[in-house]
Amino acid sequence: MSPPLQEEGGLGRASRQELAGPTPGGWQEVSLPGQAPDVAPKHPDKLLHPRHWPGLGRIIGFFCVVALLAFAANAMINFGLRRIRTSDFGVSNRVMTGKINAEVVITGSSRALTHYDCRVIQKITGHTSFNIGRNGSQTDMQLAYLKAYLANDAKPRLVVHNLDLFSFLTSQEIYDSAQYLPYLDQEAIYAGVSRVYPDAWKWKYLPLYGYLVEDMRFTWILGLKGFVGYQPKEDHFLGFLPRHTPWTGDFEKYRRDNPNGVRFEIEPQGIRDLEELTKVCRDQGIQVLFVYSPEYSEMQALERNRGEVFAKFRAIADRFQVRLWDYSDSPICKNRGNFYNSQHLNAEGAEAFSADLAKRLVESGLLSPTKAGTK
Amino acid sequence: MLFNSLEFAVFFPLVVGIYFLLPQRHRVLWLLVSSCVFYMAFIPVYIFILFVTILIDYVAGIYIEKMQGRARMALLWVSIISTCSVLFVFKYFGFFTSNINGLAGLLGLHPPMPVLEIILPIGLSFHTFQSLSYVIEVYRGRQKAEPHFITYATYVMFFPQLVAGPIERPQHLLHQFWEHHVFDYERVTSGLKRMAWGLFKKLVVADRLALYVNDVYAAPQNFNGLQLTLATVFFAYQIYCDFSGYSDIAIGTARVLGFRLMENFDTPYYSRSISEFWHRWHISLSTWFRDYVYIPMGGSRVAKSRWFFNLMVTFAVSGLWHGANWTYVVWGALNGFYLVMGVATKGLRDRVFGLVGLNDKTLLRKAIMIASTFFLTSIGWVVFRAKTMADAWYVMTHFASGWDFGRIGTEQFLLRQLPAAVAGIMVLEIGQLLQGKVSIPSVLGRLPMTPRWALYASFVMAVLMFGIYRKTQFIYFQF
Repeated sequence: MSPPLQEEGGLGRASRQELAGPTPGGWQEVSLPGQAPDVAPKHPDKLLHPRHWPGLGRIIGFFCVVALLAFAANAMINFGLRRIRTSDFGVSNRVMTGKINAEVVITGSSRALTHYDCRVIQKITGHTSFNIGRNGSQTDMQLAYLKAYLANDAKPRLVVHNLDLFSFLTSQEIYDSAQYLPYLDQEAIYAGVSRVYPDAWKWKYLPLYGYLVEDMRFTWILGLKGFVGYQPKEDHFLGFLPRHTPWTGDFEKYRRDNPNGVRFEIEPQGIRDLEELTKVCRDQGIQVLFVYSPEYSEMQALERNRGEVFAKFRAIADRFQVRLWDYSDSPICKNRGNFYNSQHLNAEGAEAFSADLAKRLVESGLLSPTKAGTK
Repeated sequence: MLFNSLEFAVFFPLVVGIYFLLPQRHRVLWLLVSSCVFYMAFIPVYIFILFVTILIDYVAGIYIEKMQGRARMALLWVSIISTCSVLFVFKYFGFFTSNINGLAGLLGLHPPMPVLEIILPIGLSFHTFQSLSYVIEVYRGRQKAEPHFITYATYVMFFPQLVAGPIERPQHLLHQFWEHHVFDYERVTSGLKRMAWGLFKKLVVADRLALYVNDVYAAPQNFNGLQLTLATVFFAYQIYCDFSGYSDIAIGTARVLGFRLMENFDTPYYSRSISEFWHRWHISLSTWFRDYVYIPMGGSRVAKSRWFFNLMVTFAVSGLWHGANWTYVVWGALNGFYLVMGVATKGLRDRVFGLVGLNDKTLLRKAIMIASTFFLTSIGWVVFRAKTMADAWYVMTHFASGWDFGRIGTEQFLLRQLPAAVAGIMVLEIGQLLQGKVSIPSVLGRLPMTPRWALYASFVMAVLMFGIYRKTQFIYFQF
């Protein structure tokens, strides 16, 4: 072993030419290393036409082939995701192709998605219902998705919009962007995504850009599998995603990290989004109901401006003459066994809540009782 | 502008197309304009800092060549000090003042040392060193001063290697701006292939591993020994693929335009000693320190104690070059210590290997040496990557604790990413192993066009599909 950095060994032996690697052909040396030429070099001093660039056509041709492959792959992925009939993409595909046409539609974030068991609601009220809650979404994207629903499906009688303390926050990024990528041809979805992410045109027009640059979940693999007929395991039931998960313990960590509680922003744009959601429904003659679904009671104590947020909810509800049902004091909230974290009910909690809500819908007269419904 | 950005995908073909269209007399100017656009994509105003250092060293080079005696030496020092001052102000002033303030605090003093909160101009350490090597080489008479300002400015600012090297020597690069480069299909495609390989290293391997490493090293206390070990091994690959990937893209980019840049990496993780590692890792920086720091101090042609001192100082300074943080200094000193110990224990190790019948040629001995070098290097990377020395110590002392195979993933790096990460590393290793045995480009070049294009297109598509495209800078940009 030669000593390191020794002048007479190792790097010391390597000439700079060796370090630079072998000299490939194609260069024309006109001066000695380290020496500028004394006279101007003799070489073409006029514009060089690309016809003198041998092989340029082949290089361009190769990149055209790659571009074609990218377009083809993008089309296959989109087509494959649209063919899926199960799971989250199955829900979106049914929404976008007008196959739902429910009388009661549930909108909101992951709390809507995991709290409203439409099988229970349908059974008790006798009215068809469907859950279009979007995981990780704020009101802006919930509004875009509802607009897409209304553009493709028959008008529901009632839209139940689930509220949470994040309702007045606007999206800073598109969570799980791949869930929207196959549907960018839907005006409402594209407008919603573009508002949050102005570069969304790249998702729409540059092949594979959305799937590769923004999506970290390899959704493109699911798309290719869908293209050959694969159907993921069904985990959504009338749009509802039951979570059979025990208490995770995240809340304890959250409480440790925020011993003085937390404040939730109220953004003017967030208020406008909720108002627009209400207006969109009202303009189409659809009844709207705001529901603040159960939230774990100990978490409620940590929310420093809860009253302020609820005052805004009530102001909007009053202005648009929308009912607001607050489940914050429900007995469900006091039992940790109904939740898997402070914000989300587990499947059992969701069943209890959905049954209570369905009965209340009938009792309140928002939905007329039908023969098909059961108490 | 990042090599792995959409902007560069538009910028580069435009630059190349116009470069080859232009007559020779305008080409260097075009490269300079392109390099300015490339650099200004980061923080536009910082182009003026670069301009000042370029102007100083350009003028210094001309006058150093003309002058004799002490004036010549004085001018060299003026140039070195002024160039290094820029680096000091932007990179080290905050570090310097915080340490002075800390020391004063310990002594019960409170000197009002100002603290500068400024963003380091990207790649400042690289072009500072390239500029320094120019004036030193002119002073030593090994390089003629460049009389044309545009050519000299382009030499310092040449966009392929502007922000993260390789740190070129004037003898190797400067004269190439006077050469006429024709559009040569073989050379251009060879450059494009090199770029593709670099992008594979960066996008598919480095950036995916970064998801894991970033999570774990952000708060090592939250992870078990298995995760700490995995993150450390991943970081070894991440930093190698990130930096050598950048060098590949830089070399490929320059090659498309007709320029030869020096090789910067030579499969360093196959080294059998730390000494060999430093002959194969960041070669342009190692040789810079060898030529301008280590040898002027006396190198190895001095008493042994002085030789060891020279090694320690060279590597500690090299560590400081990487960043204004004690972790980098310790990392550099640790590598210096490895080298000193390597020399000091060589005889003993040879005897031990001899006693168990493992001579230099034995495969097992080679494997042991490669593995132990990788281990020592990885320990060094822990110090390099950790935010503080306390974090580094925590990682090093918890490698073996609480291994939980049920808890491997992190928030950003879900378990489903693991196969892609491991496959990326395997493709890298297979590619490197094959590269040592056969010339992959020449083997592929002999294939008929259809299967050859199919292979190339598949590789490009694989890089596209499995790459990570979040706007992540190359690690070495920060230096």
